Amino acid sequence: MADLVRKGKRRLALLLCAAVAVGALTGCGGGAAGQGAQEQPAAQTDTVVVAMGPTSEPEAGFDPAFGWGAGEHVHEPLIQSTLTVTNTDLTIGYDLATGYSASEDGLTWTVTIRDDAYFTDGEQLTAEDVAFTYNTVKASSSVNDFTMLDYAEAADDTTVVFHMTRPFSIWPYTMAVVGIVPEHAYDSATYGANPIGSGRYMLEQWDRGQQVILTANPDYYGEAPEMQRVVILFMEEDAAFLAAQAGQVDVAYTSATYSNETVEGYSLASYASVDNRGINLPAVPAGTDSEGRAAGNDFTADVLVRRAINIGIDRQEMIDNVLNGYGTPAYSICDQLPWYNEASEVEYDPEAAAALLDEAGWTMGEDGVRTKDGMRAELNLLYSNGDSVRQALAADLANQLGELGIACTIEGVGWDTAYDRALSEPLLWGWGAHTPMELYNIYRTIGDSGSAQYSPYSNETVDSYMDEALASADLEQSYELWRKAQWDGTTGVTQDGDIPWVWLVNVSHLYWVRDGLQIAGQKIHPHGHGWSIVNNVDQWSWS
Amino acid sequence: MKRLNRRQGMVLLLVCAAVLLAAVTVAGILLEPRAMQADFSRTNRTPCAEYPFGTDWMGRDMLARTLAGLSLSIRIGLLTAAASALIALVLGIAAATLGRKADAAVSYCIDMIMGIPHILLVMLISIACGRGFTGVVAGVALSHWTSLARVIRGEVMQLRQAPYILVARKLGVPQGKIIRKHLLPHLLPQFLTGLILLFPHAILHEASVTFLGFGLPSEQPAIGVILSESMQYLTTGRWWLALFPGLMLILVVVLFAVSGEQVRRLLDPASVHE
Repeated sequence: MADLVRKGKRRLALLLCAAVAVGALTGCGGGAAGQGAQEQPAAQTDTVVVAMGPTSEPEAGFDPAFGWGAGEHVHEPLIQSTLTVTNTDLTIGYDLATGYSASEDGLTWTVTIRDDAYFTDGEQLTAEDVAFTYNTVKASSSVNDFTMLDYAEAADDTTVVFHMTRPFSIWPYTMAVVGIVPEHAYDSATYGANPIGSGRYMLEQWDRGQQVILTANPDYYGEAPEMQRVVILFMEEDAAFLAAQAGQVDVAYTSATYSNETVEGYSLASYASVDNRGINLPAVPAGTDSEGRAAGNDFTADVLVRRAINIGIDRQEMIDNVLNGYGTPAYSICDQLPWYNEASEVEYDPEAAAALLDEAGWTMGEDGVRTKDGMRAELNLLYSNGDSVRQALAADLANQLGELGIACTIEGVGWDTAYDRALSEPLLWGWGAHTPMELYNIYRTIGDSGSAQYSPYSNETVDSYMDEALASADLEQSYELWRKAQWDGTTGVTQDGDIPWVWLVNVSHLYWVRDGLQIAGQKIHPHGHGWSIVNNVDQWSWS
Repeated sequence: MKRLNRRQGMVLLLVCAAVLLAAVTVAGILLEPRAMQADFSRTNRTPCAEYPFGTDWMGRDMLARTLAGLSLSIRIGLLTAAASALIALVLGIAAATLGRKADAAVSYCIDMIMGIPHILLVMLISIACGRGFTGVVAGVALSHWTSLARVIRGEVMQLRQAPYILVARKLGVPQGKIIRKHLLPHLLPQFLTGLILLFPHAILHEASVTFLGFGLPSEQPAIGVILSESMQYLTTGRWWLALFPGLMLILVVVLFAVSGEQVRRLLDPASVHE
C-alpha cells in the first residue's frame, strides 16, 4: 500500500514537473505571441508592426532631455519635430527651421523657424519652446554632450539664437536629433511617458517592456504620414524571429546568425550602415597615464606594426566568416559619410604587411611567432562579454594576425573595466554616428592630458584640423577640414599616417520584411540596431 | 566467477566513477587549446564522425569544448568544495567548542547566509570579486559551507557529551588534543560525505552563475557559457549546441552524487556492515 502511495506520489510529482516545464515553455513563446496577437497586424493598409530589440525601448521615455533621439544611439524623434534633419546623403535639410546662419566667430547661431507648427495639444510652437528645449537639454542631458552650448534665447516668435561657449560648426547635426518640447506642458517627471510634440506621430500607448503604439498626427504641418499607425514591439532576437515566422510582425530585426534561414512571406532586407567595428592600437609604449592607469603597449607603439596590422587583415574574409556576407569593409569611423576621406581605404596585402613587420625588426621565429630582442609579438584582444558578433570578429582577427606571426589571445570583458583596459590593450569597439564629432571623440587630444580619450594617441596636426573644422563658419568647408584631419597628404590617422585605430567592418542591419511592405529608402544606418529603421516610417506603404 | 558482495560492488562503482571523473578532468585540460580554437571553415556542423558533438558558429569543436568545460567545472568544484568544507569544519567545531558566544555568532552567520537565496549570493560575491575565475570560486566557496557547518556543529555538540570525551576532559587532556585525537576522527565520515555531496552543488552553481553572465568570460570553455550561447541558436535549429553539453553536465553531477552516496554507505557506521 505504502508502495502504491509512493508510486502515486512520484507520478504526481512527475506530472507536476511536466506541467511546470510546459508552462515555462509556453510562457516564453507566449510573451511574444501574446503581444502580437493583441494587435492583429497582418497586412493592413495603414498599420505597420515593427519588432525591435529590448534595449531599444527608451528607459526614461520619450523625453529628448533623457536621451530620446539624442542619446547614445541617435535617430529622429518622430513624436517631436527637430530644427534640422539629415538628408539621405547625410547633408543637412530643414524640418522646423527655415534657415540658419552662424556668426563669423562661430559663437552665435541664429535659426529662423516656421510659424505653422502646432503641438498636438493645439498650442503653437514658437521660438520660446525651442529655446526652452535646448536650455533644458543642456541642463539635464546625461547622455549627450551639450557643453558647447552656453544658452539659447528667443529673439522673436520665429527666431531663436544659440549662444555657444566655443565654435561648433557641426551644430546643425546636433539640431537634427533634439526634439522640441512644449514649454507650457513640460514636466520632466511625467513628460517621458506622456510626450506632447509637433512631429509626425503621437504616442497612443506605451506598455513598458512590451510595446509602443504611435498614431499619425492629423495636424502635422508637413506631408501627411502614409502609415497611420506604427506598433513597435520589443523582443529578443529569437522571439523576433519566431514572431516573423508566425506572421505576427511586419518588420523584425535580425542578425547574420539567422540570415541563412527563410521565412515564408518575408524577405531579408539588408541596410548599409556605418555601424562599424574596429580596434584601437595604443600608440605609445607601455607606461601609466596622468591618472595612474596602465596605458600604452610596447608592441603596438611602433607605427610600422600598426600599419602592418591594417593591411594584413582580410576584411572581406571577416565579413564572409562572421557576418555571413552582410557587411562592408570599414576603413574609417565614418565610411561614406560627407566628411569621409577616401585615402583611408587600403588593399589587403599580407606580403607587404610581413615586410613591414620585418622592417620593424620583428622576425619570424621557428614557432610561427615573430620576436624582437627576445620579446614575442603578442596581443590580447578584448571584446565586450556576451556580444557574439564581436567575439567572433575578435576570434577571426586573432586567426588572421596569427598568420602574420602575431600570437593573439582573446578575452571577454565587461564595460565596467573595458574602458580602462583599452588604454593598454586593443579592444573591439563599435562606433558610427551621423556627426563628424565621432572623429573628434576618438582622435582629439583631451585637454592637457597628452592623449586622446579612449586610446593613447596624440597628433597636433590632426588636432588643429579638427579644431579648425569646428571653428569654421561654413559647414561645407568644415567637411574638407574633417577630411584633412584624417589625411592631409603628409600626416593623419590613415595607413600612411599614424593609424592609431584599425577599422574592420561595417555591420549591415538586417530585417525580416513582410512581402508587400515598401520600406522607404534608408540613410546609412548609424551604430545601434534600433529606431533608425523607422526614421521615415511615415513614407512606408503597402502594395 | 565469484559474485561480488555489496560492499565490493560499491567500491567498484566508486572507483569507476572516480576514474571517469578523473579521465574527464585530464582530457579537458589537454583539450583546452583545441576548445578555444575558432576555425571559420567548419562552422555550424551537425554531429558527425569527425565532430561527434558538432561545431558552433565560430567553428569550435563542441566535444573539446564540452570536455574542457566539464574539466573546468570539476576543478572549480574541487577547489570550492574543499574550501567550503574546510570553512564548515572550522566554524562547526568552533561553534560547538568555544562557548555560547562563539556558537551564537556562528549560528547567526549560518542563518544569515542561508536566508539569502543561494544564486543571488553567488552572483553578488562573484561581482564583488571581479568576476572571472576568482569571482566564481570565491562566490561558490563562501556560500556553500552553511549546511555542512550546521551538521558538524550538531555532531560535535553530541560528541562533547559522549562518555569518552568527558573522561578525557576529566583526565585533563587539553582542548586542542581532544579535538585532534577524539573529535576529528569521529567527524571524518560526515565530513567526507558532505565534501563530496558539495561537488554537484558547486558545479551546478558555477554553471548557472556563468550562464547568467556573472561568472566566467565568454571565450572560456565553461559549461555555463556553452549553454547560454546555445540559447541564441536554438530557434535556428542547432539543437546539438545545448543537448550534449547539457547531458554531460547532468552525467557528471550524477556521478558525483552516486560516489558521495557510496562513500557515505561505506563509512557510515549504520550501514557499514550491510
